[in-house]
Amino acid sequence: MSSDTSTFPLSLEDLHVSFGGNRVLEGVDINFVPGFNGLIGPNGAGKTTIFNVLSGYVKASRGAALLQGKNLSDLKPTDRVSNGIARTFQSPKLILDATVMENVLLGMHHRFKHGHVTELLRLPNHRNEEDQAREVCMDMLEEFGLAEDAHKETGDLSLGSQKIVEVCRALVAEPKVLLLDEPAAGLGADDVTILLKGLRKFVEEQGLCLVIIEHDLELVTSLCPIIYVLHFGRIISEGSPEVITSDPTVIEAYLGKGYAPDNNDGQGETDAI
Amino acid sequence: MAQIKTNSSGYPLYPPKPSGIKGQQKLLTAIAAFGFLAFLPWIPIFGWITIFDTGTNYGLGNLAFVFAYAAAGIGFNLLIGYSGTLGLAHAGLFAIGAYGSAILSAPPECLEPTCETIIRPAVSGYGWPFLLTIPIVCFFAAIVGVVVGFPAARLKGFYLAIATLALGELIIKLISLDEKLWSGLKTNGGTGKQVQIFEFFGSGQLKSAYFLSLGSLLITFVGYVIYTENRLGRTLKSVRDIEIATGPLGISSTYYKLIAFGLSGFAAALAGVAWAQNSAFVNPSSFKTRLLVFLLVVLILGGLGKLWGPLIGAVIFVYIRQEFQDSQKLLFFLIGTALMVAILILPKGVASLPDRFNDSRWVQDLRRRFKAVKV
Repeated sequence: MSSDTSTFPLSLEDLHVSFGGNRVLEGVDINFVPGFNGLIGPNGAGKTTIFNVLSGYVKASRGAALLQGKNLSDLKPTDRVSNGIARTFQSPKLILDATVMENVLLGMHHRFKHGHVTELLRLPNHRNEEDQAREVCMDMLEEFGLAEDAHKETGDLSLGSQKIVEVCRALVAEPKVLLLDEPAAGLGADDVTILLKGLRKFVEEQGLCLVIIEHDLELVTSLCPIIYVLHFGRIISEGSPEVITSDPTVIEAYLGKGYAPDNNDGQGETDAI
Repeated sequence: MAQIKTNSSGYPLYPPKPSGIKGQQKLLTAIAAFGFLAFLPWIPIFGWITIFDTGTNYGLGNLAFVFAYAAAGIGFNLLIGYSGTLGLAHAGLFAIGAYGSAILSAPPECLEPTCETIIRPAVSGYGWPFLLTIPIVCFFAAIVGVVVGFPAARLKGFYLAIATLALGELIIKLISLDEKLWSGLKTNGGTGKQVQIFEFFGSGQLKSAYFLSLGSLLITFVGYVIYTENRLGRTLKSVRDIEIATGPLGISSTYYKLIAFGLSGFAAALAGVAWAQNSAFVNPSSFKTRLLVFLLVVLILGGLGKLWGPLIGAVIFVYIRQEFQDSQKLLFFLIGTALMVAILILPKGVASLPDRFNDSRWVQDLRRRFKAVKV
């Protein structure tokens, strides 16, 4: 482990989380680098718990998560996005009776500067800011092939499109670190291609640090140059896809069982979030 | 025709509107509706419905009550329909508006024979200009609304409803507690207070109350439209539908719930002022849980989350109330039945009838046939 954590976009230091006596994370040390970082592991390994610590749903019982050297536990959950960390959810959390555009605009909430009195009086700076925000959102939707659907009700979209809308909402927040919780689950092959093309562009152009939880091992190994394998709250292996797939501990813990869903032992993983 | 705003590749930034009159349908409907209501006192076309006959003082007063209830309902709609927060202190906030403006604007007590007119304690107050008291009580009620909303930081659903219900009752209790301060008329329901009626340019007390009520409805209506179509509307919706995800989006759900509480308090107090002007007498017992139930009936009967819901609900409610005012038991029976029928048959209220009609199989079928004929 490097001693200077501030050079990494996101690093976890000896992260412990327990729910009562149930230890979900037992000392996780990861330095995430710009680009694609894969986070895999069997159900109940604690992957989503790591995300929940990062977005403030769960408090770490020991250790810390550092965002460019800044301790995340010093920041309120609502202040984290303006410090450059955004996320998506396993099941999309969108307002179904609002338009796609309105949902994506929520991602820009922290970038609006005008207050609600300005909004009521419809002063010019409200209009200008709203116009600019909508333009940013529309460009983002266009990037992901959803520009035609921008003014449709979100509930009318397929689950795959909804997941992409959520990624758009996270990206318009201009994060430095983006946490994607199973972004490809439920997506068709076309949608996955569009999603990955868009994500690659942001990684290459802006050096975005992407952390991806994904069960589709083929996708992760083809996408991420570095992968972390989590099992019972510990990192059991890390490295390039070749290293991971040939690591006997990984095969035993994960691949050997054919990553069947029936080994879900409910180790406090908050999948519902 | 204004330029349609697009991004660099020509996709429209705002939902495309049909050109011409159809695109402005919403605005034109609102202008037509409020214009109609503004001229109603001079065109008594509802002569056949005694309750809303504007040719009589009785009908004019009833319509003013409709507007006051609708204005309060719009504020309630923002809180319950938009932010999904079940805050039930609305009757107390309504009372702050009614009592506050009545007491602040009434002339000071004067019992000496030297006075121009004798002002008995029942009508005395602080003698502030009436129009000044409106913003004062409204902002005060907004602050009280925010304070009442603080349990929303911890409580949800029915627990929050019970907490805010109790706080709303507390407001009424505090108002009826201090008889010395209000020094009004002793009535069965506590110390009542006569209201000094404000007159606009000598237009008569009833017409003044009518226009004040209509004005309060217009203000809440415009505020509701602007807020729900812009940033605050979508943020409140996110608090309602995806509260769990608001933190990572940088949206503080507690903050926005409190904003909704404050705005609904403002609207309630504004409606309360209009209500008091129209009824000419305020009494703590008028603002008890009964008023809250009335407002909920207005909201649910009209349509939760619908723009025109509160107004439609208020018309129906005031009609039922006036038609059956001689028999209170029958009145409550009817209101309860209407509420049950509304929830069973029209869960989205009477305001959702046009949508229901358009979406019905019968209309869809008719439309398809018409299209076939045209082609």
